[in-house]
Amino acid sequence: MRLVRNGVVVFAGLVIVAMGIRGLPTVAKRTSVLSSPESSSGYRLVSIQKVSDFGEICLPAEPGSGDANPDNNLFASYDDRDENHLLDLLRGRSVYAATQENGQTLELNRQPVRRLWDTDPSYGSIAFDPRTGKVFLQDLNLWAIRIFDRMTNTPANANRSEPERVIQGKNTELQFNTCMYIDPVNGDIYTVENDIGDSIKVFSQDASGNTAPKRNLKVTHRAHTITIDEQKEELFVSVNYPPQVEVYRKTASGNEKPLRVVTGESTRLADVHGIALDQKAHELFVNNWGHISQYNVAGSGRFEEPSITVYPLDANGDTAPLRIIQGARTQLDWPGAMFVDPDKGEMYVTNSVGQSILVFGAKDRGDVPPRRILKGPRTGLSYPSSLAVDIKNQELWVSNLGSASATVYPLTANGDVPPLRTIRSAPANKVSLKFGKTQAVTYDTKREEILVPN
Amino acid sequence: MHGFAYDEVHDEIVVNSPLAQAILTFRGGASGEEPPIRVIQGTQTQILGDAYSALDKVSVDGVNNEIYLPLGLGDVRGQSRDTLPAILVFDRQANGNVAPKRILKGPRTQIVGNKPPVAVDPLHNLLVVNLNNAFLIFDRTASGDVAPKAVIRGPRSQVASTGNFRVYAPTGMIVDRCSGESVCAWSINDNGDVPPRWKIPVKQITGYRISGLALDPAHKEVLFSVAGWGGDDYPPSGIMNAVLTFSWPEIYE
Repeated sequence: MRLVRNGVVVFAGLVIVAMGIRGLPTVAKRTSVLSSPESSSGYRLVSIQKVSDFGEICLPAEPGSGDANPDNNLFASYDDRDENHLLDLLRGRSVYAATQENGQTLELNRQPVRRLWDTDPSYGSIAFDPRTGKVFLQDLNLWAIRIFDRMTNTPANANRSEPERVIQGKNTELQFNTCMYIDPVNGDIYTVENDIGDSIKVFSQDASGNTAPKRNLKVTHRAHTITIDEQKEELFVSVNYPPQVEVYRKTASGNEKPLRVVTGESTRLADVHGIALDQKAHELFVNNWGHISQYNVAGSGRFEEPSITVYPLDANGDTAPLRIIQGARTQLDWPGAMFVDPDKGEMYVTNSVGQSILVFGAKDRGDVPPRRILKGPRTGLSYPSSLAVDIKNQELWVSNLGSASATVYPLTANGDVPPLRTIRSAPANKVSLKFGKTQAVTYDTKREEILVPN
Repeated sequence: MHGFAYDEVHDEIVVNSPLAQAILTFRGGASGEEPPIRVIQGTQTQILGDAYSALDKVSVDGVNNEIYLPLGLGDVRGQSRDTLPAILVFDRQANGNVAPKRILKGPRTQIVGNKPPVAVDPLHNLLVVNLNNAFLIFDRTASGDVAPKAVIRGPRSQVASTGNFRVYAPTGMIVDRCSGESVCAWSINDNGDVPPRWKIPVKQITGYRISGLALDPAHKEVLFSVAGWGGDDYPPSGIMNAVLTFSWPEIYE
């Protein structure tokens, strides 16, 4: 460390620029690193800056002095190793700002004192490839798709299981993607982005690393869930708000428009999330969180109970549902991904805030209880975000947003049933931050708590 | 949700329900699926969002018992309606289908952007609106089509449009995102194309683009929520969600 006056300091590390020192003497008393005969009262610390590894530093002028380097300016540099210690010492101390009259802005090149973040994945979606037995997990936190074998089972004492491959990186254009679909014929990976990307990306079955998608379809903002009618080769996309289901050609790309759109007051759609198809009965299932308004009518907002609405598969426009599942007995609570098993006539529903998987009859209507409920501490469910069904092996896969994991159960599991296997991407006791998109923040001054919506 | 508020005077959390055209108030210590203690919603409220981003932010002035809600235009992207945005002001204790107590709206206000964020300085009795790379500063109780008292705008000011910002009333500091994906602090007494007092180049330092912002006066810190944006905003850490805390005692003194 060196402390000089009116000089040029060339050090790698952190430089303190002081216009005299008022705050600095206290610092100097607390550390042997800072000691100087110039550290007298009446001085004031003005800046803490990183300095470059090479070259000269241009020292700032005191605002209004006309003097590039007045005598009472102090400059100090530190080795990188001292940086955190120095910031600790300086926390809460004032740095002088240039006055408005002089039209100068003081730039503060300081590091954050804390970072609140999760270094592990947040799994918001899951998909299963029956051809290969691979499980696909969509990560909202690190923007990736991780692919595991279905037989992966993370040992209790292991921190995590490593994926067979990962699709991740700037070229992938993966962002806050909320749903995947695996083409049962060629293994293409479809994934939809819900917020800032507003698109569906399609990757080849063997995509890995920082790979660009092979196809891109622009879709409406807040697109959430996708599925495909393989018989008609039609791609169904749910849109949260204004609530609608858009239907595209399966191979649509670019700015191609939907073939048809289910939307309107008669549909009873309200903050749409999960969708599923019954291609045997030719029906479309949609679940709704119940937040609804007409975007162009002031004061038209209302809250309804969550619901599942059912339509003909070829519904178009303002079509009334064939039937509705809704009411307190249904236990619906932030429903998400769904799957309809046409052979058994059953519908599986992810119930995130309810911490459960609900199974209804595909022909149920009204305020009906689920046939089966997978729920309880032994299940390992933690904010279940999505599900996938492996018909061949009669297994139910669930992604857990709250624990960076996927858990798999017998398809007929009911009650507090432990998983057959668990794929973990974080230690077993890890409590995920469950960050989905940290757009806003506020601070509770009473409890000294940080409030973050997702 | 792009902005919400904690009312430290009454220990309440105020959020908007973007898709249901509502303002919800919760206990400060609310947890789990606890219902709100008050809901402002209905035909009298005049609350309007739009198709693209709906209502996305709300502010509260606990000292004067008021809630501020910036309105949308009721349009879809690329299909603007012939309407002006507005700032609705509700009584903090309003509950149910109630009308706003006043509305700030009209061409003289210069409020022409969509859902501009609002912050109140109850000590200086001023209302600050951020839009179109400017701060419009009004009397706190301004109503109708009135001109702002002061406008901070211009290339030297570095003011950027933002999702939400804060005012620290005891020192009259406006803290907000500014050009270069930095965060700047201006005085609420500034007017014209005046530069900020301080600037932290957050993206240059951390690689993150700032989204939300909160103040912690007790510890003299500022909190930023940051989220990945893709493209050139791909953070080097690879972690797309974070809250960063900076020590910034200068704005509190």
